[in-house]
Amino acid sequence: MVAFSSFVGPFVPELLLLGGMLLVLLLDVLGVRRNETLATVALTALALAFLSILGDLGFAPLGVLATVGPGALNVAPAAGAAPLYHLTSFGLIFQAIFLVAALLVVLASSSRPSGERGAPIFYGLLLLATVGMLLVAVASDLIFLLLAVEVVGVPSYLLVAYRRGEARSMEAAMKFFIVGALSTVLSFYGASLLFGAYGSTNLFVIHAAAASVGTPVLVLVGYGFLLAGLAFKVTLVPFHAWAVDVYDGAPTDVTAFLAGGTKKIGLFAFFLVFLGPVLLVHPATAGASPFGGGPLDLGPTLSIALGVIAVLTMTVGNLLALLQKEMKRMLAYSSISQAGYMLIGVTIGTAPALTGATLQILAHVLMKGGAFLVVAGVAGLGIGPLIDDWKGLGVRRPLLGAAFALMLLSLAGVPLTIGFVSKFVLFSSAVQAQGWFIWLAVAGLLNSALSVFYYARVLKVMYFDRTDPIAAIEAPPASGLGAGGLGYGRAAAIGLAAVLIVGIGLYPQPILGAIQSAAQHFLLTGV
Amino acid sequence: MDAFLLLDQWAFLIPLLMVVSFALVGLFGTRLRALEWGGWAAVGIGGIAMVLGVGIAIGEMLHPGTYVNAQYTWLHLAGTPGPFPEGISLVAGTLVDPLSALMLLVVTVVGFLVLLYSIGYMHHDRGLPRYYAELSLFLAAMTGLVLSNNLLEFFLFWELVGVCSYFLIGFYYEKPSAASAAKEAFLVTRIGDVLFLLGIFIYFFHFATTGPSGGWAANGFVFAHGTSPFLPTGSVGSSTLLTIAGLMILGGAAGKSAQFPLHVWLPDAMEGPTTVSALIHAATMVAAGVYLLAVTSVFIGFTATDQLAIVAVGGFTTFFAATMAVVHPDIKRVIAYSTISQLGYMVMAVGAGFAMVGLFHLFTHAFFKALLFLAAGSVIHALGTQDLFKMGGLRKPMRVTGTAFAIGGLALAGIPPFAGFWSKDDILGSMYGELGSHPLYWPFWILALLAVFLTAYYIFRAWFLAFGGNGPRDPTLPPAHEGSWVMQVPLVILSGMAVFGGLLIFVPGFQGLLLYGAGASGIPPVYGPTDLALSGISVTLGAAGIGVAYWLWGNGRIFVLPESSPLQPVRRLLLNRYYLKAAYDWVGARAVYGIARGADFVDRYVIDGTVHGFERAFGAASDRLRRGQTGVVSDYAAYVIAGLLGVFVLLLLVAPYLLAHLGGT
Repeated sequence: MVAFSSFVGPFVPELLLLGGMLLVLLLDVLGVRRNETLATVALTALALAFLSILGDLGFAPLGVLATVGPGALNVAPAAGAAPLYHLTSFGLIFQAIFLVAALLVVLASSSRPSGERGAPIFYGLLLLATVGMLLVAVASDLIFLLLAVEVVGVPSYLLVAYRRGEARSMEAAMKFFIVGALSTVLSFYGASLLFGAYGSTNLFVIHAAAASVGTPVLVLVGYGFLLAGLAFKVTLVPFHAWAVDVYDGAPTDVTAFLAGGTKKIGLFAFFLVFLGPVLLVHPATAGASPFGGGPLDLGPTLSIALGVIAVLTMTVGNLLALLQKEMKRMLAYSSISQAGYMLIGVTIGTAPALTGATLQILAHVLMKGGAFLVVAGVAGLGIGPLIDDWKGLGVRRPLLGAAFALMLLSLAGVPLTIGFVSKFVLFSSAVQAQGWFIWLAVAGLLNSALSVFYYARVLKVMYFDRTDPIAAIEAPPASGLGAGGLGYGRAAAIGLAAVLIVGIGLYPQPILGAIQSAAQHFLLTGV
Repeated sequence: MDAFLLLDQWAFLIPLLMVVSFALVGLFGTRLRALEWGGWAAVGIGGIAMVLGVGIAIGEMLHPGTYVNAQYTWLHLAGTPGPFPEGISLVAGTLVDPLSALMLLVVTVVGFLVLLYSIGYMHHDRGLPRYYAELSLFLAAMTGLVLSNNLLEFFLFWELVGVCSYFLIGFYYEKPSAASAAKEAFLVTRIGDVLFLLGIFIYFFHFATTGPSGGWAANGFVFAHGTSPFLPTGSVGSSTLLTIAGLMILGGAAGKSAQFPLHVWLPDAMEGPTTVSALIHAATMVAAGVYLLAVTSVFIGFTATDQLAIVAVGGFTTFFAATMAVVHPDIKRVIAYSTISQLGYMVMAVGAGFAMVGLFHLFTHAFFKALLFLAAGSVIHALGTQDLFKMGGLRKPMRVTGTAFAIGGLALAGIPPFAGFWSKDDILGSMYGELGSHPLYWPFWILALLAVFLTAYYIFRAWFLAFGGNGPRDPTLPPAHEGSWVMQVPLVILSGMAVFGGLLIFVPGFQGLLLYGAGASGIPPVYGPTDLALSGISVTLGAAGIGVAYWLWGNGRIFVLPESSPLQPVRRLLLNRYYLKAAYDWVGARAVYGIARGADFVDRYVIDGTVHGFERAFGAASDRLRRGQTGVVSDYAAYVIAGLLGVFVLLLLVAPYLLAHLGGT
């Protein structure tokens, strides 16, 4: 394996973001609290970090860029080495996706009312959470990974509550925190059990040792705890219940960040933790189930369990989304069901499946993040939380309506959007993998068909249920912002997401190819 | 000469133009000072599309049997060991061949005429921009479907056609009946769509590695390769799997083309504007199903069992739908049932292996059916009612419309030399030649023949009721008048096509459009009446139908079936549409809403109940949690614990069980 030193050096994007965060907090102390200024600082930090990641990707598209182990910097993982930090091109792609999510949210937030309280806290916490997200993408040690997840988790609890005095947000934050803390405990307990079984928390070591240690029940229980703990982040059923209340109660821009951004780190953690064992097939060391039944084989057992959870998640999410009357709750449930699709990638564990899951994650950043940004903007126009309150919006605001319609169509997996491309890749990877994986494709397709109903209902309300069109057109926008009350930053963020949704949908090949080779490389060299 | 072949490369412009029209009118139509301007923009763009479509058709006539394939690779997945060793490609492209050229001619010409006519018909409607936007998108979807060069693209446009029809049928969405008709059309055709998709999957897997240059999957499942079908002809044989796939395709076609038992949506789709009905029934939506069968039969092929099934569905539907048209009092619904019935002829012909004969009937039918609908639209526009029993004597104030409806009726009834005669006779004659080798085709052929009589009867019953007699039976109706020139011109043009359209088969150039792969895929071209005795029988049946209609309804007579007549139960059965719709509604209401309610119930009672159960079980710990926080949070914590236990059950019990029974990976 060839090692490349990173083009811009390790930790540069993370340091840039930390610098940005400190600057934001410093400005706060100095009394500069203008929303635009703070947003510009945050945007600059994020953009620089994004560019440095693109630089790394362009410099060595398929290298293991850097590893950091005890006492070693910038060396390839030698045989038996146990690095904490392991930067692959696949991880870089995820870092880029995370930054896109953060960029969209900050861009949109730049057009929030200038005098709002808590703005410095908002940008500071958002940048800190983004640092944690970037760290997740390079982890190769369980403790490092879980700590990075916490670096994301703690700021995001606070982000939900950054508008002090709003009872709903506070309540949501409290719920988020308590359930989050509980699942952190589960994750760490799982990690400690694995440490007990393998004598290391390093993922390379664990995956290598799994072949020789076999599958004692201890390992399975350890993975079970980890699964439960991380499933909280990804909002997998039955660990999804918090998500709807939190997404609903949080300020909507924060919701966009949670649904579009932080949720995805859980999936990358799933890749890191479960791909190794899922791909492991060694029937020779299979133990017997303590409860009777067939032999226990770690890889297939985990894979089937993940498959069951994936199908359960997409189905339950979809069915409950079907019954929602509020826009945010509908989108939250749809977000849960989308997590089910993404989990298919880990369940199958082949390069095409990983490609599909990654594309789905990118798609979800654009379409769900974008959709929540639209919801936040529309709330600023004085439109209520119910789906029915969106009556005639598509006619009154043709461009905003068209962008939101695009996001919904993409969520439903309609062709010429990125949502179709990702689902197509994901489901055909299930078909390519054969065996019982084909049922995942079947379940996914049926669920996609089901989801069309609730997305189509919103489109119908937006375009066909009209209040008096003349009166609505002449109603003044609620805020004094540009772009018809949306604010230019938000309009730009929404437009950017919509353009990317269609652009990648029409011409997916470059991104698809890059992710495909990175995923292949990740499976060969990665964790 | 070669300019036409060059034009074929640019065929994608036709759907693109209509998309542009959709975006233009849809986004900015409401901003225009006069709402009609958006309409005229759509008419203008539709006109350009028509010129291109006619040009492509002329090119195909000049170069019979040419294929021009233009495509770009949309996305490519690398190959893995398994069913797709060379990977999977998706391509977007157009294929211009005789099939698509003929359809393009129909769709763009009828589409343009409907767009033009609508300026007059819809001028009073405030939703005009929306109407033109949706109509443009509908035409974009249909032309895209016709030009698709692979099955997946075909399916995408197929779905788009379905969505547009949903919007257009539900155009008057404030009317509950229109909204529910739109929903019904969408749901019923969706059943067909799911079947179609399954059929596509079977074909994809079965033929993934078949064919030249790396197999079908690696080439994006395109229909044609060079100048021949991509899949080797005759590759279908009699495999059970492919028979199932063929039946799935039939299901898809039956949904879109309203064949029994998925025909229920079409009569209700009359809730849309009449112009939309004209388009749906003549050139777009319902034609898509027949076109699908034709494309499949030419490029993939059906097994013998499939063929019999298709002939059976088509032949039965022909008769079945005609019986329901016999008693209906609504002018549009009578025509709607006639559409189902005529589609049955086409389906039957394609099933028996005469794809081009079926498409020829589609061609003639498109014009005379559009004519009938637009004529009916003129009547409705003038009177504001669709009830035949309120009308009467309209032939005097509405001379153009009355003549047009009569010409359409004669064409539908299969009276020579009107268009319908040639194509319908072609179908009956071609089938007749096959009956010797396929004895099971007999009953369906006879049903189709009997339907000729019924067709002639019901359409002239409608004519005599509306246009015959001395004056309206309902004196409260407004005085009838002709529509403006934009409504009359399409009627005149379509009348011309209904008179002369069938004679086109004697034009050598036009034959090129019907010459699909003659020899290559073994589809014999048949022109004109092959069997004079047979033609005699069918014309006699048609004439008899008209005669009976005149005897019962002519000169303002009203035929009332006596209460004591033994035919009363039959009449009731027909009026209630064989009670099929009621049965579907019953099942649908229970199945669909039942699932949603069930999910709600589970979430509310079962899951919550379980969680509260765990709470009680955890007792003290749970209590301590709850004292600190709200009850809801401790619920969620309990969720997590319950979920954790669930994960253990899954890992230790369920997964090994599934592994043992699914046979591992």
